[in-house]
Amino acid sequence: MWMKKRYVLSYEGEQHTAVVAKDADKIAVQVDDGERSEIDCAPVLGGRALSVRIGGKIRLVHLTGLDNAGKVAATIGGRPIPLTVMDELHAMALESLGTAASSGTIAADIPGLVIEVRVKEGQKVHQGQPVIVVEAMKMQNELAAPVAGTVMEIPVGAGDTVNPGDTLVVIEPEPGG
Amino acid sequence: MSKRRIEKVLVANRGEIAVRVIQGLQELGIKTVAVYSEVDRTALHVLLADEAYPIGPAPASESYLVPEKILEAAKKCGADAIHPGYGFLSENGPFSRAVEEAGIIFIGPTAESMEVMGDKLAARKKMITSGVPVVPGTKDAVSDPDEAVAAAEKIGYPVLLKAAAGGGGKGMRIVHESGEIASALRQTMGEAKASFGNDAIFIERYVVDPKHIEVQVLGDGQGNAIHVFERECSVQRRHQKVIEESPSPSLTPELRQQICEAAVRTAESINYRGAGTVEFILGPGGEFFFLEMNTRLQVEHPITEMVVGVDLVRAMVSIAQGDGIPFEQDALSQRGWAIEFRLYAEDPSKNFAPSIGKIEAMTTPNGPGVRLDTGVYEGFDVPIHYDPMLAKLIVWAEDREKAIARSKRVLREFTLHGPIHNIPFHQWALEQPEFIDGSYTTDFVGDRFDGTDYLPPLSEADTAAILASAALFEASRREEMGTHHAPAADGPKKTAWHLSAMRSMTNNR
Repeated sequence: MWMKKRYVLSYEGEQHTAVVAKDADKIAVQVDDGERSEIDCAPVLGGRALSVRIGGKIRLVHLTGLDNAGKVAATIGGRPIPLTVMDELHAMALESLGTAASSGTIAADIPGLVIEVRVKEGQKVHQGQPVIVVEAMKMQNELAAPVAGTVMEIPVGAGDTVNPGDTLVVIEPEPGG
Repeated sequence: MSKRRIEKVLVANRGEIAVRVIQGLQELGIKTVAVYSEVDRTALHVLLADEAYPIGPAPASESYLVPEKILEAAKKCGADAIHPGYGFLSENGPFSRAVEEAGIIFIGPTAESMEVMGDKLAARKKMITSGVPVVPGTKDAVSDPDEAVAAAEKIGYPVLLKAAAGGGGKGMRIVHESGEIASALRQTMGEAKASFGNDAIFIERYVVDPKHIEVQVLGDGQGNAIHVFERECSVQRRHQKVIEESPSPSLTPELRQQICEAAVRTAESINYRGAGTVEFILGPGGEFFFLEMNTRLQVEHPITEMVVGVDLVRAMVSIAQGDGIPFEQDALSQRGWAIEFRLYAEDPSKNFAPSIGKIEAMTTPNGPGVRLDTGVYEGFDVPIHYDPMLAKLIVWAEDREKAIARSKRVLREFTLHGPIHNIPFHQWALEQPEFIDGSYTTDFVGDRFDGTDYLPPLSEADTAAILASAALFEASRREEMGTHHAPAADGPKKTAWHLSAMRSMTNNR
């Protein structure tokens, strides 16, 4: 039986998807909803590169993981391709976790665990400032203030389990901000 | 010169040149001593040397540039000679004098040679009396604007205002008409004063569409010198060379002979001792002018070694210990073609801004005609304090066309993860018509390179391979995380990743 998993990749400002399917000793990859090709893939150089064969074409791709958030340095033919890759569920979680209304409310969209609250009520924050850390899909995700303003309410604390729809942080936007 | 056998040499440098010198000395059976700053304890030159001594904090001004510290280390280890490499103290007259006064051999020229050539006005005068062509210009420094205008009219526009003590592209200004002279002169004098502590400026003709040709020379210190042919170094960014080749595609055999002979005259006129390089500027009409002489081993010396088949470090040692130049002029000839690519930790898309960081992964090319002079290795953290040049890739083949083809192959085989680097720039350069036909000038990069849009689109097959392997890489990492504790959020966990990649993709095979 084929086991499928979708991945979301971004490099050079473009988003791509890749579906990896496995069935016993077979691996197939479908890139950007194109044709599914069976690929023959051999880790080489002590696991630092993959020799992939798609159709008859063979390519050597060097890969180095740079962090635990999917940042990968890849090189093909001497050309470095910096990219990020994550499985689709995780990518969705990242997006939905930080569902940010223009009001400045940050809400959870999938179940998770609050790891750390980085701000206090009444504190001024700037746009993009990390305010809360939530673990979901075994990944810690820093959620940033969607707008500049003042933290009005933090209904959750570290250690709390949160469910979809739960409000995490409420920020009152700065006038004109 | 008295003969004295050199048995132990302190290499007063770091990076790839220290490594190259140490390797050359070891082949001669000479003991090698490295010196290192606080951040360089694990640098490659230290790992390879026979002995190593710390010389202070990371900033070069407190370590590699302090003559007393180098001398102290040399005395402590009983070195009979010091090799300065390039940069740092290599062209510092007082240093070489102090070394010799301490009874230690300086593997390089005399302080007098450095001082004459370090002062552009003095060097220019010397060349005029020695019959070496110089760019038409003023004999003396000019500080009065009216005098400057008169001089510029006589020379013909455009003219170049140039600091006597300048170098590395600093303290220079191009002026196209008399109205610009006064303010340009004031600014250049100000810059020269601030950068070099000397505001002497001279004016010379600005050669349009210039090529940078230089000639390797060796002198015995007794008035005899030979040349080891030319290098062309016209691919420059921010006035610094990035690609060099030898021979020059711009010289006819007659011109080559003239320019090489002029270089020999230059070296002989100052009784030059050791390896040096005479730089010329070549105009579109084939006229060439003396630019300056570098009184040291040059970064790009390996292309000469590849094409002529000599070891310049070995020659330097021979001269320094009084054995003279180890080969005759007539025995030397050029065979094939060599190109050097300087591998810098820098971002071509951000105006070549330096980059730093740990070399997370490095796979280097080999095969026929490849030489890699490197100062780094996988796992080495590139310090912010020094030149961002990581390595030099030198490629040799039977002729220029084959050397270009081989270079493309070799660059494709290079992988370096960690700091941002300029391999894609080199790949770009090799595709440009001006490079391919050899007509490029020193304006090539400035005129033709657009950092925001220079990479060709990836082929479909490459894109598929990249995306598929990145997805598989991530899949194996998630698998690893699922079967073990999630890794700490604050750091990579690479060993596990790689092992995991091996396991999850090879089982069931």
